[in-house]
Amino acid sequence: MRVRSLLAASGVVALLVLLEVVAPRVLNPYYVTILSRIGIAVIAAVSLQLVNGFTGQFSIGHAGFMAIGAYASAALSVFAGAALLDAVSQVVPLSLARIAYFPLVLGFGGLVAAVSGLVVAVPALRLRGDYLAIATLGAGEIIRIAILNIDVVGGARGFSLASPAHPAIDLRFESLAGVFGVAVVTIAVIARLVYAGGGLAFRAVREDETAAESIGIATTRVKVEAFLVASFFAGVAGALFAHSEGYIHTNSFGFVRSFELVAFVVLGGLGSLTGAILAAATLTALPEVLRGFGEWRMILYSLLLIATMILRPQGLLGQRELWPISRLGRGAK
Amino acid sequence: MSLLEIRGLSVRFGGLSAVSCFDFAVEAGSLVALIGPNGAGKTTAFNVITGVYAPSEGSVVFGGRAIGGKAPHVISALGIARTFQNIRLFRSLSALENVRASLEGARRSGLRDVLRLSSWRARQDAATLAARALLDELALGGFADARADSLPYGEQRRLEIARALATRPRLLLLDEPAAGMNPAEKLALRELIRRLRQDHGLTIVLIDHDVSFVMNLCDRVVVLDHGERIADGSPEAVRRDPAVIEAYLGSDAEFAS
Repeated sequence: MRVRSLLAASGVVALLVLLEVVAPRVLNPYYVTILSRIGIAVIAAVSLQLVNGFTGQFSIGHAGFMAIGAYASAALSVFAGAALLDAVSQVVPLSLARIAYFPLVLGFGGLVAAVSGLVVAVPALRLRGDYLAIATLGAGEIIRIAILNIDVVGGARGFSLASPAHPAIDLRFESLAGVFGVAVVTIAVIARLVYAGGGLAFRAVREDETAAESIGIATTRVKVEAFLVASFFAGVAGALFAHSEGYIHTNSFGFVRSFELVAFVVLGGLGSLTGAILAAATLTALPEVLRGFGEWRMILYSLLLIATMILRPQGLLGQRELWPISRLGRGAK
Repeated sequence: MSLLEIRGLSVRFGGLSAVSCFDFAVEAGSLVALIGPNGAGKTTAFNVITGVYAPSEGSVVFGGRAIGGKAPHVISALGIARTFQNIRLFRSLSALENVRASLEGARRSGLRDVLRLSSWRARQDAATLAARALLDELALGGFADARADSLPYGEQRRLEIARALATRPRLLLLDEPAAGMNPAEKLALRELIRRLRQDHGLTIVLIDHDVSFVMNLCDRVVVLDHGERIADGSPEAVRRDPAVIEAYLGSDAEFAS
């Protein structure tokens, strides 16, 4: 057991080093950007899987929480981050300060998104099925339109991370190891939540709410917890997105983005983390791969989605997991 | 004092009265049958006791505490467990996971699961052991890793009982446990219910359609018809009760006309 986890850990570290050191030198910046977007999509998809796939609550407004994480973290960076980094860099090297700064920014984006997730979850989770889906869709749009009307974060102009007061400090965060490191942490945390003892509560709610209540599971609380964790990681994904792109606009977080995330978890298989990862990576890369087809590419993309759902209605992996993840939580035999 | 005491219970859904002025007391350690024709209000009574419905009128007192209208998970924690008429297992989970889900210690979620604090593994192992013991007790040991919905019908019914027992109840409510069983299976089920009552010190209320299944099993039979209690007594007495015969077969007058 110990040997295996050691192997897994060193595999992850090797992968991160490869992404950080080798990828930017071998690949052109276009591919590096796509890789980074894949990592962000994975984080968002895995977090949504906790709600839709494991707790059985159909949320289709997840991009709204990404928007909150993106804008909250970007605002922190623009209004305080540059000044903070500037001050700290008088004492320690700037590169060192940045390494400590980014977890802080991501955590902040996640926390603000989690709080807003709680605000949405408490009333919305009293609803079931279609009604819940519509409520989350509405919540996502409310968030997007509210941000669109806040002028300090750019409103309809979008929001740039460039800080005029400290032009020397680049607030962007272009590190594949950073993005995928966060993705690994997200996957590990959610895998442990759903496959360890407590995860049974999520899955019991998905399977049968009445029965879950009857054996003492506080179903509303479990649903709110799932929503809270999911919106936290969506916020982290949004913060990563803001800091790797350097410029954000509410258009990136509309319901099209939300539906894309739903497609990831349904196509990957509701109740499969590895399925969500696989689908997020494939479907993020696919439109780029299909660029050669010009204006036909989105039609091909849609046809591929339809074909997959006809051939594998349960999603790519159903409720199964590829090897290591399902074991991650199985502490007890 | 009775373990469960229901007084003047009425449940109405809009204009429809499912249960009216129902008085029902269950002594600790007893095995009581609740019988009656379809639509008599038996399952509604269970749903009120377990918190699925709130009473429209009347009180439900369990172990000296008023539980009417409390949430089902709160009532479960107080020591009432149940099975369902139309089996409600966690279908895509394994038999073992179905039982583990009932074990509060195994289920508590949150940071402990993520951080794997030292007590975590010990608690998980203890829960698995307890769940396996329950599966063995109900002769389900061989199905531990099978998906719940892949189990044969009788095994699914027993798994539901195992899951209910895992909450360590004082009062167990069985909603038509014998439904769809053949005579041999019913006989085995009767034995099982007797044994569980003994071994777990349970108080049991079970629902069935007719008196024959509960004849040699229960101490007491309560008959419901159209939401009202029409008989209460030993199985023999209830079987001869004219009101009960009328509820099931109709009155002589109806036959005559």
